[in-house]
Amino acid sequence: MLPNDGSRTNHALRASMRRFDDEEELDLVVVGCGAGGAVLTQRLARKGWKVAALEAGPFWEPDRDWVSDEAGSHPLYWTEPRVIGGGDPVPLGSNNSGRGVGGSTVHFAGYTPRLHPSDFQTYTADGVGADWPITYQELRPYYEALEAELPVAGQHWPWGDPHGYPHSPHPVSGLGMIFQRGCQRLGIDVRVGPVAITNGRFGNRPHCIYRGFCLQGCKVNAKASTLITHVPDALAHGAEIRSGSMVRSIEIDDRGRASGVVYFRDGVERRQRARAVAVAGYAIETPRLLLNSACRQFPDGVGNDHDLVGRYVMVQGAAQTAGRFPEEVRMYKAPPPEVSTEAFYETDPRADYRRGYSVQCIGPLPITWAEHVVAEGHWGHVLREYLCDYVHWATLGVLCEFLPLPGNRVTLDEERDRHGIPVARFDYTQCDNDRALMRAGSQKMAEILDAAGAQDTVTIARYAHLVGGARMGAGPETGVVDRNLRSFAVPNLYVTDGSVLPTQGAANPALTIMALAARCADHLAGGAASA
Amino acid sequence: MKPRFPGYDVLQQAGSWDLVTAGVVLARLAPPPPLRFFTVDEERVARPLLDRLLAQDGPPEDESRIPVLEHIDARLAEGETDGWHHDDLPEDGEAWRRSLAALDEDARAVEGQHFWELKRRAQNRLLENVRTAKTWHELPASRVWNLWMRYACTGFYSHPSAWNEMGFGGPAYPRGYKALGLDRREPWEVREVDAEDPEPWARRVEAARQRQDSDHAAR
Repeated sequence: MLPNDGSRTNHALRASMRRFDDEEELDLVVVGCGAGGAVLTQRLARKGWKVAALEAGPFWEPDRDWVSDEAGSHPLYWTEPRVIGGGDPVPLGSNNSGRGVGGSTVHFAGYTPRLHPSDFQTYTADGVGADWPITYQELRPYYEALEAELPVAGQHWPWGDPHGYPHSPHPVSGLGMIFQRGCQRLGIDVRVGPVAITNGRFGNRPHCIYRGFCLQGCKVNAKASTLITHVPDALAHGAEIRSGSMVRSIEIDDRGRASGVVYFRDGVERRQRARAVAVAGYAIETPRLLLNSACRQFPDGVGNDHDLVGRYVMVQGAAQTAGRFPEEVRMYKAPPPEVSTEAFYETDPRADYRRGYSVQCIGPLPITWAEHVVAEGHWGHVLREYLCDYVHWATLGVLCEFLPLPGNRVTLDEERDRHGIPVARFDYTQCDNDRALMRAGSQKMAEILDAAGAQDTVTIARYAHLVGGARMGAGPETGVVDRNLRSFAVPNLYVTDGSVLPTQGAANPALTIMALAARCADHLAGGAASA
Repeated sequence: MKPRFPGYDVLQQAGSWDLVTAGVVLARLAPPPPLRFFTVDEERVARPLLDRLLAQDGPPEDESRIPVLEHIDARLAEGETDGWHHDDLPEDGEAWRRSLAALDEDARAVEGQHFWELKRRAQNRLLENVRTAKTWHELPASRVWNLWMRYACTGFYSHPSAWNEMGFGGPAYPRGYKALGLDRREPWEVREVDAEDPEPWARRVEAARQRQDSDHAAR
């Protein structure tokens, strides 16, 4: 779907995009065009549905809009106002949000691991978290399909449900070598991948050039984002992607069914009618929209009869530890995602905490690297000295499975955005299990770096990813949506993004979100929305 | 501070960068526009504050100085925040205004002079106090510190002069990198002078710490 003239965008496809009228009743309107929204839109367009995805941000053109530069990539993130609070507030913005077609897949690192089978029943097996209303086996065919579509490169994966990848692993950089060396000396199993970065040409997508700016949007088109994978395919099959469209509320008719959405475009308030609505705005904007859609039938927000909307929002504890090595590492080269281990993913019966963590390569660029040094309390001359030593440092990151807690939630703040819509407030506080897990993960990274020969290490406590907030459950008392992502309260309303995850595992969430959206599409195509 | 990558100039590679990236990066070398956000009162507190945070101790006319204040002023004037603020801190622009006023209040209360009139050592003392305080002028001190450092580091480390100082290869599209692995460099990258560590890392950090604690100007 991408042109073969070396440019990054199929202009003809965008110019000929089908455009629906607001008054026309669509089969489905999708709110948000990131990992979940784009996959759902593409799947249903292929089934012949009249479907449009409304996206608040722009329709990116990588050649024109993106840069190989950290500070210059600011427009890729959701930077409209939000308030954070709680005992351990979670910074938002560049770390865990996206804005524009492709959503955060535009600037995700590209790690695309699956969840493990054990993730689907942590309450039964480990006494923490929650059980999913679906099993790993039900999601597996969708994982396999998405891994082929992106496609994913990596070594054969020995953890969870062992599986291979369609593309062979990428070559390893100095950073990856340090990680492998440390793990080898400690007897820890480690693998290259899994990353959604083509290894070799893929259609008209060129080979990765190892420039290290994955988190700033891949100008090369080597890293998959739904902007270059599922969106072009959706357009070719008759979907509309309506960018610059900020949805204010979901409309509920007298029969208690969703009848469309109210949205702002160019400052003008408009209504798009639709037979079904799917919300895919991610873990902050999805609960915000459901709460902001309060109406006569749902005075506390759509689907919020049991006070579950906005609750159980999760972030992964993502401490990063950097080690100083005598050799030049130059960790800015090669994709920041390269090598990982899931050897500590599941509950270790000897540990004083439940569930586990994964360890991955992280290659912070200068501004992000400065955050590490600042977090140690350094400033002035000492800050500059550390930064000048950049080429000698190698950084690892953990993803700790923090638990879903009801008090970690999105609510509406008094503050309003420029459209007059109340902004989201996100309160977050860790529990004891979270803290113990983060300590263990940080210690493991330091052990690995020490084993690799580090002369000095520094650790920064931080978070990554956002899921939960509209979780799926077995019934309306435990979930906002059911096993098919359909709202318990409104039969033709769906949530198809990371906010439906009941637990998060220690895996980056993008592939799971896409797989869930693809599964929901099969359910919808089976005639569900008209039920 | 001894240069670690003598002769390295990332701008020599600008010809190999894509035009959009080159435009964004080279614009940082252009004369900055007049200040729009900070008032004069705020500017004269903010300049020495940022100089101390980033150890830019050269004279104001020094051409190698990175214009961090101008970068922050432009961001705040355009409302380019990071997309969130703490519930116990006002939004970023207001937080900057309040914290600059509070810093000058400290200077007058403790030293009897405005912040910009103080010697570096006295300025550093006041700043270290903010960094280690719990509550500071009814604001959460660590969050004020984080706000300052976040904006300061983004301004400083987005500038090519800072990349030269740290040996960073900079933008690499469409050329990319070929030399992956330990102790490997592109033909145009410069080897770090102390790569074989004649001056061990620990001693170098200790020297920087002493530079930070001493006050050359006061002597």
